Amino acid sequence: MSEERREPEGTRGPAFRRWLGNAAGALVFPLVAILISFAIGALIMLATGNNPITAFGALFRGAFGSPLAVGRTLLNATPLIFTGLAVAVAFRAGLFNIGGEGQFYIGAITAAVVGVSLGSLGVFGMVLALAACVVTGFLWGAIPGFLKAYFGAHEVITTIMLNFVAILLATYLALNPFRSEGLVPGTEAIDLAARIPFIGIGLGRANYGFVFALVAAAVVYLFLWRTKRGFEIRAVGLSPGAASYAGMSIGLNTVLALAIGGAFAALGGGVEILGVYGKMSIPFVSGLGFTGIGVALLGRNHPAGVVLGALLFGGLTAGSQEMQFATDVPLQLANVIGAIILLLVTATKLVELIVGKRARALASGTHLERGLGQ
Amino acid sequence: MEDFIGALGSLLASTIRNATPLIFAALGGMFSERSGVVNIGLEGLMLIAAFAGVVGASLSGSAVVGLGFGLAAGLVFALIHALMCITFEADQIISGTAINLLALGGTGFLMVLIFGSGGTSPRVSGFKEVAIPLLSEIPLVGPALFSQSLLVYLMYLLVPITWFVVFRTPFGLRLRATGEVPEAVDTAGVSVSRMRYYGVALSGLLAACGGVYLSMGILSAFTENMTTGRGFIALAALIFGRWNPIGAAGAALLFGFGLAVTFQAPQEVIPLEFIQMLPYVLTIVALAGFGGRAIAPAAIGRPYRKE
Repeated sequence: MSEERREPEGTRGPAFRRWLGNAAGALVFPLVAILISFAIGALIMLATGNNPITAFGALFRGAFGSPLAVGRTLLNATPLIFTGLAVAVAFRAGLFNIGGEGQFYIGAITAAVVGVSLGSLGVFGMVLALAACVVTGFLWGAIPGFLKAYFGAHEVITTIMLNFVAILLATYLALNPFRSEGLVPGTEAIDLAARIPFIGIGLGRANYGFVFALVAAAVVYLFLWRTKRGFEIRAVGLSPGAASYAGMSIGLNTVLALAIGGAFAALGGGVEILGVYGKMSIPFVSGLGFTGIGVALLGRNHPAGVVLGALLFGGLTAGSQEMQFATDVPLQLANVIGAIILLLVTATKLVELIVGKRARALASGTHLERGLGQ
Repeated sequence: MEDFIGALGSLLASTIRNATPLIFAALGGMFSERSGVVNIGLEGLMLIAAFAGVVGASLSGSAVVGLGFGLAAGLVFALIHALMCITFEADQIISGTAINLLALGGTGFLMVLIFGSGGTSPRVSGFKEVAIPLLSEIPLVGPALFSQSLLVYLMYLLVPITWFVVFRTPFGLRLRATGEVPEAVDTAGVSVSRMRYYGVALSGLLAACGGVYLSMGILSAFTENMTTGRGFIALAALIFGRWNPIGAAGAALLFGFGLAVTFQAPQEVIPLEFIQMLPYVLTIVALAGFGGRAIAPAAIGRPYRKE
């Protein structure tokens, strides 16, 4: 920093205040969404004859109350960090990636197949399986990018449609060419030596997949804010016209942003297979890709926010069982609260009712200012 | 030959049954999207209505009351979507996704609360098949087309009615204009917000018919996540049919035929997963512009702000 731009010592300069203002501003949308959805959750608890304080207390205990609970939360947050990053990277390029669900499945089937065939290589096999997920996820994610960049097909619709293609493709592969002899429909179990190990230290079944997810978030941060390519992607997202005028390729950056997003979601699927399930059974876990959208928006499409958003959503799932155990509230209420958060997290006018006209300026981390028409 | 006619007849009947919920939801989606509001929440609207229909029918013992419950639930969820998208200017894609998750989570929650456990609800009295005299006696097509539940006949009526409403009435003109050039509609003294509320509300009612048909026409019970992507296939039919009621119904029939074939064709020929992929792949192809580009209403997805 140059001499003349340094703030006088002992005073809070405008830069600091602006930073503080931005940070507080960034929290307004998520906080409004979280508070209202928890309030609605409390009303539902009351309506079912339960004490919200007891129920939320149990929810919190089940999510963060003990090392075992924290382990559960980390385990649930892990895939959501990956699918959240998949949304966030594309969002920074001005694109909505609704395809996380399918990309997650592509990664899962890749890891299941490669993991079985290279399982005898141990840790090396695990690394290769995860690398394979990155490749297949990248290629799969590139399809909607390519269709958008060169054929004008809107990425929201193509990624939605590709979700089902991916799920059906993974289902076909798991049930036909790679089906195991066993009774449970799905692929063979991967050699234990090639699985992602547990973290231990009392965290229960939480595995190093969570650490991989944190590394992935850090990589996304460094890529977007510390590399030329990341700068280009953000520039295309902020102002395609200006980026194009500056000589950046909108097409290439569109393809890359969606492909990189696909790679992260697929890596999440691979980590889930190698860390939790050990094989791909059909039906496979669903909804993690869609929840990733909520995670990303709650985290304002910033990698650090994605991690926090994933911990919130992961904690909701982790604590819901304890809530059901301690009260009569069915654990599915956690899903309802999560859905309401997503419903509210982009509601500009709602936030405007609370913080006034500033809301519109604060909406930049969650809104793409364009329609779907061509 | 008898066997062949019989197989063909049952394939046709199955096509109609599979296409009906898709057509309802696609017609609903058309009203919403023609008004300028993307509705990827069709899946959730169908699901909540399928559930509410079964609740209504199990409380009252009457399928018609069930339909009323389903319509009310679809309408309420659609109005939530409208409130978010139109009044609160939330992102339409996100709101639609949230509607889907809310319906999935909400039905799972209410299943436990109302019926005591998740999975499948108790059986209720659904809509029985009613053979239309004379018409149902036409060889081959008669039993397939005219020995169906009342909701199917409602669908037959709604396709031309929807076309007429959208393309031949002042309301339809305003609706389409709202989705293409909202500024002009505003200048003409018509409220853009109100037109969009109408569009989204209609999408809720129509998608609800599709949902109720699933749980009370095809089956007589609710199963968690029983829509299994049909709302998205309906969205695909809407796009593949170029946001036109007749086109959307045609696309839905094609997709319904695909679904019917998967239940009857021998697996060895084409794996069923690949037939099931067809609607999605065809829609992507249509969007990419092969064989005449599918172009959405111009103002779709953007909140309208008065200047």
